[in-house]
Amino acid sequence: MNDADERHAASLEAISVSKSFGGVRALHEASLRAFPGEVHALVGENGAGKSTLIKLLGGRLRADSGVIRHHGAAVALKTPDAAHRLGCWTVFQELTLLSAMSVAENLLLRREPRGAFGLTSERRLRQTAEAVFARFGIHDIDPGALVEDLPLADRQVIEIVRALSHDPDILLLDEPTSALMERETAWLFGEVRRLRDAGRTVVFTSHRWHEIAAIADRITVFRGGRDVGSFTTLGEDEAVTLMTGQRVETLYPPRPAAPASEAALTVADLAGGRLASASFSLHRGEILGVGGLAGHGHRELFLMLFGAMPRKAGRILRAGHEIRPRSPRQAIRAGIALVPEDRKTEGLLLPLSVRDNLTLAVLGRESRLGVLRRRRLRSVAAAMTTRLKVRMPDITSPVAALSGGNQQKILLGRWLLADCAVLLFYDVTRGVDVATKHEIYELMTALARDGRAILYYSSDAEELAHLAHRVLVLREGRIAAELPASGLNAEHIVAAAMRDQAAA
Amino acid sequence: MSGGGKRRRVLPGLSPTGRRVLYAYAATVLLFLLGGLVRPGFIQATNVLTILTVAMFVGLVAAGQSFVILIGGIDLSVPWVLNAAAILLTTSSGGENARAAAALALTLGMGALVGVANGIGVAVLGVPAVVMTLAMNGIMEGLTLGLSGGMTCSACASYAPPLVQGLAHGSLLGVPAPLWLWLAVIGLVSFLLQATVFGRATYAIGTNLRASELAGLRVRATVIALYGLSGVTAALAGIMLVGFGGQASLGMGEPYLFQSIAAVVIGGASILGGRGHYLGAVAGAICLVTLISVLLAMNMAEYGRSIIYGVIILVLLLLYGREARES
Repeated sequence: MNDADERHAASLEAISVSKSFGGVRALHEASLRAFPGEVHALVGENGAGKSTLIKLLGGRLRADSGVIRHHGAAVALKTPDAAHRLGCWTVFQELTLLSAMSVAENLLLRREPRGAFGLTSERRLRQTAEAVFARFGIHDIDPGALVEDLPLADRQVIEIVRALSHDPDILLLDEPTSALMERETAWLFGEVRRLRDAGRTVVFTSHRWHEIAAIADRITVFRGGRDVGSFTTLGEDEAVTLMTGQRVETLYPPRPAAPASEAALTVADLAGGRLASASFSLHRGEILGVGGLAGHGHRELFLMLFGAMPRKAGRILRAGHEIRPRSPRQAIRAGIALVPEDRKTEGLLLPLSVRDNLTLAVLGRESRLGVLRRRRLRSVAAAMTTRLKVRMPDITSPVAALSGGNQQKILLGRWLLADCAVLLFYDVTRGVDVATKHEIYELMTALARDGRAILYYSSDAEELAHLAHRVLVLREGRIAAELPASGLNAEHIVAAAMRDQAAA
Repeated sequence: MSGGGKRRRVLPGLSPTGRRVLYAYAATVLLFLLGGLVRPGFIQATNVLTILTVAMFVGLVAAGQSFVILIGGIDLSVPWVLNAAAILLTTSSGGENARAAAALALTLGMGALVGVANGIGVAVLGVPAVVMTLAMNGIMEGLTLGLSGGMTCSACASYAPPLVQGLAHGSLLGVPAPLWLWLAVIGLVSFLLQATVFGRATYAIGTNLRASELAGLRVRATVIALYGLSGVTAALAGIMLVGFGGQASLGMGEPYLFQSIAAVVIGGASILGGRGHYLGAVAGAICLVTLISVLLAMNMAEYGRSIIYGVIILVLLLLYGREARES
């Protein structure tokens, strides 16, 4: 399998490492060899063991068995510091910044510049942080800002710069691009190439195939806690087959037939927050894509339609009748459901069971005088897990124990149970593995065929281009373009999102 | 908790909360045995029933405290709501059975009203629960002292109506009446938490308020109702206490703040919300009161008892914290 480069030694190797959590085997005799001067991509479904392996290599976790070698010598990475001493730095998927501290404090944590008497000062921290940012070509993040006030993408950039600033010999990146926009991703890849050209090793994970194809020199595929192959060239279809162990004919299902003319939802001059004004209608059986860069009013649009954020102006008509949802509860009554952006903090109740999470939005319907019909709740939840092919230890297991893709299915299942006619999907495939993405796409098209109206924001323009009947591109709080499905591709969407006012 | 081996679960099939509830009951049994060693007669039926009756007062307050702790809140207004309730009952009834029903309704209504005010402060105005309920405790203290003229008012010397005293002292089938009342409360609270939409919403809100809102649950109404219930149980405890003692006095609610929170914590509820069960708080209340009785039987001075309380709470939290990290 290791088809090349046997002559120079690997910089970092994991040999038959295993790791279990409770009774669950996250890694089972998995191996990885990463070489100097190479960008090495780890791919696989959620729960395939990629993140666990990265944590083992970064000293965050200890393997139950197996060996980790650094330039040929076995090492015991008991702590992150041990890994750092070997020049091995990690950027994690779950951000590790201290949110109540400033950008500069985070960036320079444990190596604050000191002056006389070993004291540090705000000014000195700022200056040093600015210099670090400048070194990596970052100019638009204020070192004095508090981390909690920054958008997710900026936090991820800080996290990356922090690792880069240690001049790593080996850089481990766990899904670094899932929170990044196109521009920042391009920046990151520039830095990654620079490291590779300097003979360093970069190991990263991603669910976005075009990124992997663009930058990886070698790809190792993981499935079910094992490595199932290492390649220097690999096609997407082949990779998906390896990752899932089954052939997926095409990633994107065919677009459902043209929608009905009946409007399920009509929005007129809606405004609030960063959304300056939006008017459109969404028809029964339609998948209406919403594209554009984050922070241009998408979130506000979705939250206002769902009654989770006050409106400043505008009217919402649901099947021709004006509604004024002042709470999610009222929106749900009007037949509107929202699958929110962050499933872990806005969607799921992680410590509670799969069953309780699934039935949360239908408790009222499945009760009599406030008393739960528990047998019915059990059966509808069980039926939904079967329908969505949820992989889980048990229906009473906490949702936290499920992989990301399966967690997302639970959240989708909750709203399918609620039987809403209008579905607002906010970036539902972010951080979800390919196989589950495929299932979500199929589910969406099936829902549209069924006559439901879907408003679908995605940070992945490729998805919108393949699935939506139309795409609205939001820029600076307004609908900058409405793109029809025919001849639509991702470049059009990105171009419409980036084009400045003058050129429009 | 056995030292050897890797994460072998004690009592598989039980949730962590279930296991903690069991620990609390086991500790209670141990304490009774210890009491029996220290003083023969400790485990006689009469003594056990007395201890349980005393535990009921803590248990009633702990019911309300459980409700609010389950959503990550707390009710610090308990002492003076309880005290105000006791005084309101005696003064408004004037010790007459004829006015007992109206006085009971008035008193429970007062508790509900104060609780609802707490709930509105927390859920609508966004005041942190600690601040809101602490302020409310101060307000209730002031109102009680002011309106009773420092317990010098003419009606303040009234006794609880004989009916209420009878409820506190009576017995049915050899079991003291307060214990029957407690059983009813246990049944009702368990039913509310386990079998109703309201209960499910309570756990959901305690786990993640924002997600609960986005799932369409009635978050504000539920929070307000939970604080309202806490006010009602504190008032009920005040009623039972004044029925038991006959007359109200200033400061009679003080011990119940610490003890109600301690009972909930001993019973295994997470102080951060989302996890716990009233059956645990019941065990916690019995355990705590038994401990006090054992220490009294050992002639331990008050300062010693206070220290032991504190140590036990800390040790339990350490144990529970360790367990959480394991699982």
